[in-house]
Amino acid sequence: MATTVLAPGATRTYRRSALYEWLTTTDHKKIGILYLTNSFLFFLLAGLLALVIRSELAVPGLQFVNSSTYNQLFTMHGTTMIFLVLMPFLAGLGNYAVPLQIGAADMAFPRINALSFWMLPLGGILMFSGFFFGGAAAEGWTSYSPLAQAKYSGSGTDLWIVALLLIGTSSILGSINFLATIFKLRAPGMTLLRMPVFVWTVMVTSLLILLATPVFTSGVFMLYIDRNFGGAFFDPASGGNPILWQNLFWFFGHPEVYILILPAMGVISEVVPVFSRKPIFGYKAFIFATLLIGGLGFSVWAHHMFTTGAVYLPFFSLTTSLIGVPTGIKFFNWIATMWRGKISFATPMLFAVGFLSTFLVGGLDGAILASPPVDFALHDTYWIVAHIHFVFFGGTMFGVFAAAYYWFPKMFGARLDEGLGKIHFVLMLIGTWVTFFPMHLLGLEGMPRRIADYSPAAGWTDLNTVETIGSFIIAISVLPFMWNVFVTLRGPRDAGDDPWDGYTLEWATTSPPPPYNFDHLPPIRSERPLFDLKYGHGARRALPSASVATTQEGAS
Amino acid sequence: MQLSPRVRSVVTVAGLAGAVLLLGGCSALYPPNAASSQGADIRTLYSIFMVPMIAIFVLVEGLIVWSVLRYRRRKGDDELPVQTHGNNLLEITWTVLPTLLVLVLFFVSWQTLNKVDAEPANPAVTVDVTGFQWQWTFAYPQYNLSYTGIGDQGPVLVLPVDEVIHVRLHSNDVIHSFYVPDFLFKRDVIPGQVNNFDLNLKDAGVTYTGQCAQLCGMGHYQMRFTVQTMTPANFQAWVQAEQAKAKATPAPAAGGQAGPTLQLSASSTTSFDETSLSAPAGQPFTVQLTNKTAGAPHNFSIKDASGKVLFTGLPLAQPGQTVSYSVPALPAGTYTFFCSVHPTNMTGTLTVK
Ligand code: HEM
Ligand SMILES: [Cu+2]
Ligand SMILES: [Cu+2]
Repeated sequence: MATTVLAPGATRTYRRSALYEWLTTTDHKKIGILYLTNSFLFFLLAGLLALVIRSELAVPGLQFVNSSTYNQLFTMHGTTMIFLVLMPFLAGLGNYAVPLQIGAADMAFPRINALSFWMLPLGGILMFSGFFFGGAAAEGWTSYSPLAQAKYSGSGTDLWIVALLLIGTSSILGSINFLATIFKLRAPGMTLLRMPVFVWTVMVTSLLILLATPVFTSGVFMLYIDRNFGGAFFDPASGGNPILWQNLFWFFGHPEVYILILPAMGVISEVVPVFSRKPIFGYKAFIFATLLIGGLGFSVWAHHMFTTGAVYLPFFSLTTSLIGVPTGIKFFNWIATMWRGKISFATPMLFAVGFLSTFLVGGLDGAILASPPVDFALHDTYWIVAHIHFVFFGGTMFGVFAAAYYWFPKMFGARLDEGLGKIHFVLMLIGTWVTFFPMHLLGLEGMPRRIADYSPAAGWTDLNTVETIGSFIIAISVLPFMWNVFVTLRGPRDAGDDPWDGYTLEWATTSPPPPYNFDHLPPIRSERPLFDLKYGHGARRALPSASVATTQEGAS
Repeated sequence: MQLSPRVRSVVTVAGLAGAVLLLGGCSALYPPNAASSQGADIRTLYSIFMVPMIAIFVLVEGLIVWSVLRYRRRKGDDELPVQTHGNNLLEITWTVLPTLLVLVLFFVSWQTLNKVDAEPANPAVTVDVTGFQWQWTFAYPQYNLSYTGIGDQGPVLVLPVDEVIHVRLHSNDVIHSFYVPDFLFKRDVIPGQVNNFDLNLKDAGVTYTGQCAQLCGMGHYQMRFTVQTMTPANFQAWVQAEQAKAKATPAPAAGGQAGPTLQLSASSTTSFDETSLSAPAGQPFTVQLTNKTAGAPHNFSIKDASGKVLFTGLPLAQPGQTVSYSVPALPAGTYTFFCSVHPTNMTGTLTVK
């Protein structure tokens, strides 16, 4: 077992530049921040593509781009948001928080950790370079064959494949690293059932990545062979089977959507208890539900293929219906946590409540699709686009922003401004609903997804115009966030170690934590070691009026 | 309740926005009334699902809003709330009830699925639908009739009401999806696999629009078509008239072509292999079009600068065929030639001088 070398080595005779430090770091906290920064930059890029898409759709007619550019735009938007924004956002949060929350000094394999990160910007640059070599990939993030075969698509698709091989490898390595860290590096006393819920969700997510992603990387590799060396895996013209691609893709793709939501649920399960001043309601049920989602997540993939006429519908309909139950359990747990609590609404909590009220829609409008006949009507329409975004934007992205506001003081020693945070939250919440809710109605009216233009006679214009306005509200909402980060980093670092009166170990060290994280650890006797330390186990005592200074006593 | 003014305005704005969205949405939260009996079953099923959906939505959002308003931490309240860790009875309830609910919904939707997917033994009319980049061909094998879409509105599918229609879906290139929103139904059109479904239409004399629902390349957004319904009697009359018309159309004149011959070929559905041609003014000429595209037909047509179509080449050149089109004399000038099957992207310049 590779254990981390704790001694920082002999005294340095020279100082390295800060840039060199960041480029070569193997510290999980710095790598975590690199992940988050990289994801945010790609978020801005893919968001820009979304604004072009929305501007094009605002009114009928092709005003800004032609249809082949349009296809490249939504392909790159979707692929980037999933593989270069959400997955790495969550990996970054995990990187930063998991070792701290389990009282470890670093990730189990620090250098592999750095390698996993650096594959991402490389993959992203490769994928986007398609725009300069005759066009980026244009087959959607699902890249169905035969459309993705060389006969029907350009070299951008090859770049897309190579990029996803890199990114896939990165997340497989990352998941192994998380699993090793969580199973091997927990502090004494940190049993599995005392781990913070966030750590549990990262663990289940890592298992999903480890089991699902190799299937996907194999699939894209086969596609590469098809395209370049005359393979015949997915092309019926040479004896292949296009449904095989869909099975491989969705065998990965469906667990992928849980990969993208579980850690965000974990974040919400950290934030809601702390700001309600109560423990998470039903800790064990919550973990059971997470495991159940992970397990069932592997038996529902073909609900993306109900209209292909190539899958046995009742089976996948049943499993898909059932997977709604554990998600429901979580909702009730979160609400019961707030119930009779004493909730304060700092920005992390606002985003958590935003998550609850918005993600709910993404749960319901997806649950109805578990019914094959209903899916016959709604599949591949704007209903699906609404569903995707209520889950990913209203869900995961709200969770990511909750986490950003929550852990920012730990990362940089300064709290983000509350006023700007509230402006960010309100604009983003309104923008999300205005942009994505009307997409349900368009889907019901029959507007297919992935179309560059629609007829004025279709009657879809008004709703599309509203959505475009909404998308610009979302875009504007990001500005106060960026400004907030900028001014806060220039201001005093006076947040203190434990600005939220937190429960978990990351708040027991300094902000930012030293290399290797802890001088000493408080005793760990429950899933809230710091709470026990401050309030006594199960005691009913007074809340501090102001933030408490951390007591760094205790054994280890 | 003590809400700070800032929070109160936030809640008000968010609440108002939500209310406006929901109210505006309510009537629109249901799909259109279905044109087919299968679609009507799906619409009923959708409405059944919507009852618990809306109930859960209202319940959960209500609980969230209530907790947020009721359990705010007041100023000066420094007591720790009761630290409840769970409640077995509650947790079992909210596990078991939803499980029962989804099982019931699953069985209801299974029933509907069997109805929608039923294929009675003797359909009155069978239609072969072929999707290709980026048009449709609708063929009636019983009647020897076939229509390939031309222009950006695509072909018309004429169907009788009150009879069982059997639809078979074919593709020769990529995956498409046959979708008519008013049927509340789509099915993928997959190369190497023939998908089927049956249809019973209700109202005669109605026109429905449909379009491809599966991304199939750059012309996907305009892969449109129209469905037109008729009473069974009118449908039979239409079939007879069309068959008579097909007989009356002379076969394309072989030989006897006047004037010079221009060569043109098409290896894909995105563009002709030649994008400029020139022909003599005031003299008929011939265009020999070779279709080298695997999955799609093409033709040769001409329009002038104002977009007026001057010549439409028929019949279409099917994959692998070479067809000669005799074009009447044109005055000198610059024209656009195009493929009627792929009018937006397969174009070129025809210089007549
Ligand atoms: C500024 C906010 C956003 C806007 C306005 C936006 C807009 C859109 C639109 C209009 C489409 C449909 C394109 C089409 O089908 O023709 C789309 C697709 C998609 N979006 Fe977004 N989006 C936003 C943010 C996000 C985020 C944050 C994510 C995920 C994290 C995301 C993930 C996706 C995915 C996966 C697709 C499907 C792509 C495909 O069909 O290949 N979007 N988006
Ligand atoms: Cu299509
Ligand atoms: Cu053509």
